[in-house]
Amino acid sequence: MDRNGEKKNNCRFADKVRKCFAGRRCHEEIAPLSKKGHPGRVKVCKVTGDRKICARMASMGVYPGVEADVLCSGGGNRCVLKVHGGTISLDADITANILVSQL
Amino acid sequence: MQLKMALAGNPNAGKTTLFNQLTGARQHVGNYPGITVDHKEGSLHHQGQKIIITDLPGTYSMTAYSAEELVARDYLVNTRPQVVINIVDASNLERNLYLTCQLLELGAPLVIALNMIDVAQARGMEIKADVLERHLRVPVVPIIARSGFGKEDLLKAALRVASEKEEWLPLDISYGEDLDIGIKELIARIDAASFMADTYVARYTAIKYLENDEQIVEKGREIDSRTAQALEEIVAGITAHTKTTLDVFPEAVIADHRYGYIKSLLRQGVITRKFDSDRLYTSDKIDKVLTNRLVGPAIMLLILFVLYKFTFGWSEAPVAWLEQGIGWLSGFVEKTLPDGLLKSMLISGIIEGVGGVLGFVPLIMFMFFGIAILEDSGYLARVAFMMDRIFRIFGLHGSSVMPFIVSGGIAGGCAVPGVMATRTLRSPKERMATLLTVPLMNCGAKLPVLALLIGAFFSENKARYMFLFTMLAWIVALLAAKLLRSTVLRGAPTPFVMELPPYRFPTMRGLLIHTWERTYQYIKKAGTVILGISVLLWAMMTYPGLPEEKSAEFAIQREAIATATAPEIVAESLAGSEELSEQAKIYNERIAEINNEEAEVALRNSIAGRIGIGLESLSQLAGFDWRTNIALVGGFAAKEVIVSTLGTAYSMGEVDTEEPMSLGQRLQKDAHWNKVVAVAALVFIMFYSPCFVTVVCIAKEASWKWAFFSMGFNTVFAFLMAVAVFQIGTMLNFG
Repeated sequence: MDRNGEKKNNCRFADKVRKCFAGRRCHEEIAPLSKKGHPGRVKVCKVTGDRKICARMASMGVYPGVEADVLCSGGGNRCVLKVHGGTISLDADITANILVSQL
Repeated sequence: MQLKMALAGNPNAGKTTLFNQLTGARQHVGNYPGITVDHKEGSLHHQGQKIIITDLPGTYSMTAYSAEELVARDYLVNTRPQVVINIVDASNLERNLYLTCQLLELGAPLVIALNMIDVAQARGMEIKADVLERHLRVPVVPIIARSGFGKEDLLKAALRVASEKEEWLPLDISYGEDLDIGIKELIARIDAASFMADTYVARYTAIKYLENDEQIVEKGREIDSRTAQALEEIVAGITAHTKTTLDVFPEAVIADHRYGYIKSLLRQGVITRKFDSDRLYTSDKIDKVLTNRLVGPAIMLLILFVLYKFTFGWSEAPVAWLEQGIGWLSGFVEKTLPDGLLKSMLISGIIEGVGGVLGFVPLIMFMFFGIAILEDSGYLARVAFMMDRIFRIFGLHGSSVMPFIVSGGIAGGCAVPGVMATRTLRSPKERMATLLTVPLMNCGAKLPVLALLIGAFFSENKARYMFLFTMLAWIVALLAAKLLRSTVLRGAPTPFVMELPPYRFPTMRGLLIHTWERTYQYIKKAGTVILGISVLLWAMMTYPGLPEEKSAEFAIQREAIATATAPEIVAESLAGSEELSEQAKIYNERIAEINNEEAEVALRNSIAGRIGIGLESLSQLAGFDWRTNIALVGGFAAKEVIVSTLGTAYSMGEVDTEEPMSLGQRLQKDAHWNKVVAVAALVFIMFYSPCFVTVVCIAKEASWKWAFFSMGFNTVFAFLMAVAVFQIGTMLNFG
């Protein structure tokens, strides 16, 4: 079965919208969360790195397209992020793998 | 017939609080994620029905990303409880319903306990439980676990669900057309082969395959490798597609849809807010300051120092009263009972031994009270976050903070729960490094030794010295961890992700319960284990006693003094009146000198004395005499015994019962002790082999190899440090 082919043909409207939406909002100034020097609202554009960590982050509400508040940034290091009502603390390795754009 | 009920929910949602409310148990709860690492059972009777309740560890998902998630899911699918109570933090509904979705997808018979409804109201949220119930089609009961509000309604709803005895009916959430097509394909293969059908419904297995759940994938390969391979191929195709089109793994798409489902639910009139949902709450505003990169650590050190000031300042008077009371009791027994073994055992073995440990109860209590404030307020989780930066340098993880603190990082913990708390660490190497270094912290058992020696030799600034020795414990533990992580436990660090619980005002009831449960453990240990070991050590210090001819020699010496003294003076001394003449005092002193010498010779001749003397040639390099050696050897059994054994060893030589001296005063007056010896002894006691119970615990959590390693490594390391302190200190004349 040519899954990729099938998927290409069936590329869904929702996906297109999401891509378009994410692309527009995340188009510029995409940078790792670790580079964000000051608190403020951000949109998560991409989560990279180890798959297990990405999955864990997703289960905690950090996945592409989600909006979050940076409460306390360690100036290129660790940070405290408020997302989906919860407050999560992240270390430098993780913040370097979360690409965000300023809102 | 008994009913099985499980409590599941996010970390820090209040599961253990509800568990305690329902069962009357006293499981430890705290405003810190990950307190419960294993499931705990309790029971209650309700409407004539026995209910077994299991408190599951807190999880964010039902996918095997962590040990807690594995424990929780395995329990649910293997035990199949009749009801699962899902505790949901009402003040953080969106995040908490994520797990609810997965429990519903599993098909578990659910009752939702909407906990902390009061906090949600205070945050301006109005949650319509009936609307949520209608949408989710499971009972939703608002509760306040801390006060017990809603407990009865919750039990009623749970019993109703249990009585319906329906099949586990899973909820179907749409994950977008791309994934839904894939899921259908997976389900067809799973159904055709009845793959894992006895444990999970087909759709659930399919979703877990898409989420790359390692446990299920591994299990699948073991059960039916052909079907497993076919499923993995389908999943690989879907993954490639999501990576190409969206640049994400399927689990991110699944999470997105789950949160989307939750959002749509909440927008259907479940929740109304008085304020903007994105506003920052007080807790967030506090975090802006307390977790600040520069200000945060400074405030943390200040808070810890204030904790020490508070503990030592407030406990000084009650500790002194208890010491006086124990001294009075000792004097009373001395005067009341006739001389003999019973009197010696009561005074030296029990009163001085156990009393020495119990005397520190007020100090321990104040320390635990302070720690309870930090934990219940939610500050400890922030400490973990801030300390991660430092821990990372030494090859540890931010989650190592809790085991360190539980073991005595703020002085006064216990290494046994500390070693067990390392289960929350995901990396085996980081866990092992934490497990081997937490016993270096100043646990509650070492605290009396520290308080005793600091009180005796550095009484001018007790809090400051105590703080310094706590810092020393941290530095040494971290350096030891670095050494282990650079040699035998080399490996890459794991990332730190932790949910920070909101700040909460600790309730006085909660603080008192926490303080009492820990203090009670200390008292109980003093009354049981320590009592037993104290009596055993007393026996070892008493038997075999002096040979008859030696005793006779001392008796002759006493006779000689009595013969050389006027009979009326001897009679005056024996009468024991308050006002003695000068000659009677001189007579008493000479007799006391002989008695003292006899007691010392007897102690030297005892089993423990011989061990102590045998070690003296080595231990004197660190300034320890044979009596101290007896206490240190006893400390292998339990660290509390050090104080009690020192008490026994130094009370055996004492004959001045007119004015009973405290152990601290005796050590101050002893020729073998000075400031340098005290510091060397403190260093050795702080860092040598963990106590017997901790060693067994390390063996259970890791292996006997590591348990023996910690005994040997710590003792050699501690001895070398003590020798260095003693030799350098003596050379520089600090004593």
